[in-house]
Amino acid sequence: MTDMQTSAQHKQRSLKGLIADYSAIFAFLILFIVAVILKGSTFISVSNIMNILMNNSIIGIISLGMTLVIITAGIDLAVGSQMAATGLIAMTILNATQNIFLAIVAAVFAGLVFGAITGGLISKFGVPAFIVTLGTMQIYRSVSEYCFDGGGVLATGRSASAFTAIANTKLFGVIPMPMIYWLALCLLISVIARRTAFGRYVYAIGSNKRASFLSTINVNRVLLLVYALSGVLVALASIIEASRLGSMNSASSGSGYEMDAIAAVVIGGTSMAGGRGTILGTVFGTLTLGIINNLMNLLGVPSFLVGAIKGVIIIGALLIQRSVSKEES
Amino acid sequence: MTDVVKMRQIEKAFGANAVLKRVDFTLEAGSIHALLGENGTGKTTLMNILTGVYTKDQGDIEIDGAPATPASQQQIAFIHQELSLVNDLAVYENLYLGHELKHYGGLRRREMIATAQAFVDRIGIELDVTAMVRDLNASYKQITEIVRALMRDAKVIIMDEPTTSLTDVEINDVFKMMRSLRDQGVSLIFISHKLNEVLEICDTYTIMRDGVVVSSGQVTPELTEVQLSNQMVGKELAYSEIYQPRPLGKPVLTLKGLTKAREFQNVDLVVHRGEIIGVTGLLGDGRSELFSAVVGATAFDAGQVLVNERPVRIKTTADIKRYGIAYLPKNRKENGIVPDLNIEENLALPILGRLSRGGLINRGQLTATVQRYVKQINIKVADVKDVIGSLSGGNQQKVLLAKALCTDPSVVILDNPTQGVDVGAKAEIYHQIMDLAKTGISFVILTSEIAELQQLCDRVYVMTHGEVRAELPHGDINERDIMLVATGGQLD
Repeated sequence: MTDMQTSAQHKQRSLKGLIADYSAIFAFLILFIVAVILKGSTFISVSNIMNILMNNSIIGIISLGMTLVIITAGIDLAVGSQMAATGLIAMTILNATQNIFLAIVAAVFAGLVFGAITGGLISKFGVPAFIVTLGTMQIYRSVSEYCFDGGGVLATGRSASAFTAIANTKLFGVIPMPMIYWLALCLLISVIARRTAFGRYVYAIGSNKRASFLSTINVNRVLLLVYALSGVLVALASIIEASRLGSMNSASSGSGYEMDAIAAVVIGGTSMAGGRGTILGTVFGTLTLGIINNLMNLLGVPSFLVGAIKGVIIIGALLIQRSVSKEES
Repeated sequence: MTDVVKMRQIEKAFGANAVLKRVDFTLEAGSIHALLGENGTGKTTLMNILTGVYTKDQGDIEIDGAPATPASQQQIAFIHQELSLVNDLAVYENLYLGHELKHYGGLRRREMIATAQAFVDRIGIELDVTAMVRDLNASYKQITEIVRALMRDAKVIIMDEPTTSLTDVEINDVFKMMRSLRDQGVSLIFISHKLNEVLEICDTYTIMRDGVVVSSGQVTPELTEVQLSNQMVGKELAYSEIYQPRPLGKPVLTLKGLTKAREFQNVDLVVHRGEIIGVTGLLGDGRSELFSAVVGATAFDAGQVLVNERPVRIKTTADIKRYGIAYLPKNRKENGIVPDLNIEENLALPILGRLSRGGLINRGQLTATVQRYVKQINIKVADVKDVIGSLSGGNQQKVLLAKALCTDPSVVILDNPTQGVDVGAKAEIYHQIMDLAKTGISFVILTSEIAELQQLCDRVYVMTHGEVRAELPHGDINERDIMLVATGGQLD
C-alpha cells in the first residue's frame, strides 16, 4: 500500500463529504445553471434575481425557526395560520392606534405567546409536535376567520404609507428591504445555533433527548424556547408580508407556508429525525424552491401543474442528497 | 481437533494507521476461544475481517480448511453488544426476520412456530418462541440472537462482550447455552474484559496488544487473571494498592426513608465528604432506580434527600448541579452519548452555559477545559472536534466520566462506570476516583463487580428487591457475603 494511494483515497472521500455537507448548495447551483441555460438573460437579470430574493424572504425567515424546531426532532405545522393571526393583530392595532412600533411589538408578543403555547404543550405534556401543531394550525386559522368574518384588514390612516414602506423600500434603489431583514435574521439564528449553549442544546435534544435530560439540560425549557423563537420569527415575517401587501387576509394569508418552510428545511439537508442541520443549508433550500417557482413562471408552465413539478424536484433533490450522504457514511 | 478458522499474517491499515500487524488467529472446531485485549487494540477489526465486513490488506483466511469465500464467511455470525432484535415482534418472528416461510405471499405462521420451537428445544433451551421479545430478560434476548444465527447455519459465533449488561444469574444462562453449543460442535469466539469469565468458560485464548498477537494458548487451571491482564497491558498492574484509607468529613448526601412503590422501599443511606460508597445487588435490586430518583430523573413517593444535612427538593435533573451532585447513568448509548455532537461538546455538555460569555460559548475556554480532562483521565483522542462515535467504547466511557466531573461536583453518582472498559483503563479510572476522593469529592458507585467494590469502596450497601439489607465496611467486602445478602440470605 503506497502513500499515494491512501492520500488519493482520502481526497476522494473528503470531496464526497464536501458534497454531502453542502448538498443543498450543490442542488441550488445545478438548478441555477439549468435556469440560466433555459432562460438565460431573463433569468439572470438583476430585477429577476431581486424578485426571487424578495419573494422568498418571508418563507426564508419562517424556515429559520422551522430549522431549529426540526433539529429538535419536532415540527410546526401552525406557522402559516399563526402568521395570519399575528399579521391581523398587527394590522388591527396599526389601524386603531396609527402607531407602527406598537403594532410590531404586539405582533411579536403574540407570536411569542403562540409559540410558547405550542412548546409548552409539547414539552410539558409530551404531546407529539405533529398533533399539537395540527390542532393549533386549525385553531389560529379558524379564530382568525371568525374574528374577521373570513375577510381581511387593509392598512388605513396616516401611518399606512409608512407601514407599507417597511417592506417596499429598496436599499440603494436596488436591494429590497425584506432581503436585508432575512439576511440579518439568518446571521443571528446561525450564531444562536452554532455559538450559544441554547443552540447546542437544541442539537443535543434532537440527537439524544434522554441523554440530554440526564446531562442536566432543562429539556422542557429549551423546547419551549425553540417554539417561542419560531413564533417570534413567524410574527416578524407576518409584518413584512402585511407591509408588502398593505393588507392581511384571515382566510388566505400564510396558507400553505408551513409546507414551503418544511420543504426548504428538508432540501437544506436538515434531518427530520433531529440532531442535524444548518441554517446555511436552509437558506439554500429556500433559494432552490424560489428558483423552481420563478423558472416555471418564466417558462409559462400552467399554474395548475406547478405543484406537481415542484414535488418531483423536491423528491429528486432529496434522493440525490440521500444517496450521496449514504456513500459518505 | 480440526481448525474451523485459520487466519494467517493478517494486515490491515486505515489510512496511515496500521491497525493489524501480521496477526495469526486459529479457532478449533467445537471450542470456546477468548479474544482479549484493551480497547482499540484491533480485536473488532480482526473479527470484521473474518466476517467479511472489512477487506484485509494482506494475509490468508481459511474457513473449514478452504480459502474463505463470501459464502463461507456468511457462516460466521457476529453478535454485537447492541442487539438487533425487534422488541415488538415475537421470538419466532425475530428468528425468521427477512427469511419468513411464505405460501403465496401469506405467512406460514404455524409452521414457523413449530420449526422454531423444535430447533430451540433441540439445542436444549427453555424458551417459548411465541413470547414477545420485549418481555424477555437481557440474557434471553442474547440467546434469541444466538439462536437466530444458528438457524441460519452459523458454524462460528462471535460474541462481543455479551455479558456487560447482564446480571450474574443471566450470565449463567448464557454460559449454559455456550457450553451446550460447544458440545454440539459449534465454535465460539468470546470477546470480553471480564477475565474471571474467560477463565470460567473458555478453552483457548488469544491476547492482542496494539495490533499484534502477544500470546495465545490453552486455558489451564493454573492460568490466573493477573497473568492474562499483565499480558494485555504489557506491564504489571498495581491493582491492590488502589485503596487508601482517608479521613472522612461530614455527611454530604443523606437519604432518609426513600420509597417508591414497586422499586425501592425505605432506603436510608449516607455518604460523607471524601467517601466512596458502593451500592450493589442482583437484577431487580432497585439501585439504579433509587439513584435515578435521587437525581430527579424520576419521582419518588416518600422520604427525604438531604445535601449537607439540609433537605433539598430535586424536581428535575437540571436541579442537581445547584446541589453539587453529578450523575453518570448506565447504558452509555441510550443515556449518555449524544451522537451528533463532537467529543468536546459531549464532554462539556452540562457546563456549556457556564463557559459562555455574553451568550456566546467561549471556544477557547471550552477547548482548554476539555483538554484538561483529556489529559487528566488519559482519554485517547486524535482531535476533540471529531464525532464522539470515532472513539472506542472505553474512551467514550471516559468522556462521560469527564462529563460528570466537569461540573465540579461534591458528590458523583456513577452507575456502572466501567461498562465496556478494559483492564488498563479500568485501573486508570480507579486511580482517578481515589485521587479525587482524597481531595474531598464523594462518590457513589453502583456496580455488580465485586472487585470494583473491593478496590474502591469505604463502605458497601447491599440491596435486595429495593431494600438495603446489609452495610459492609471496607475490610468486610467479599463475594461470599455480598452474594449471600443479595440472594436474600442473612449475615451471621
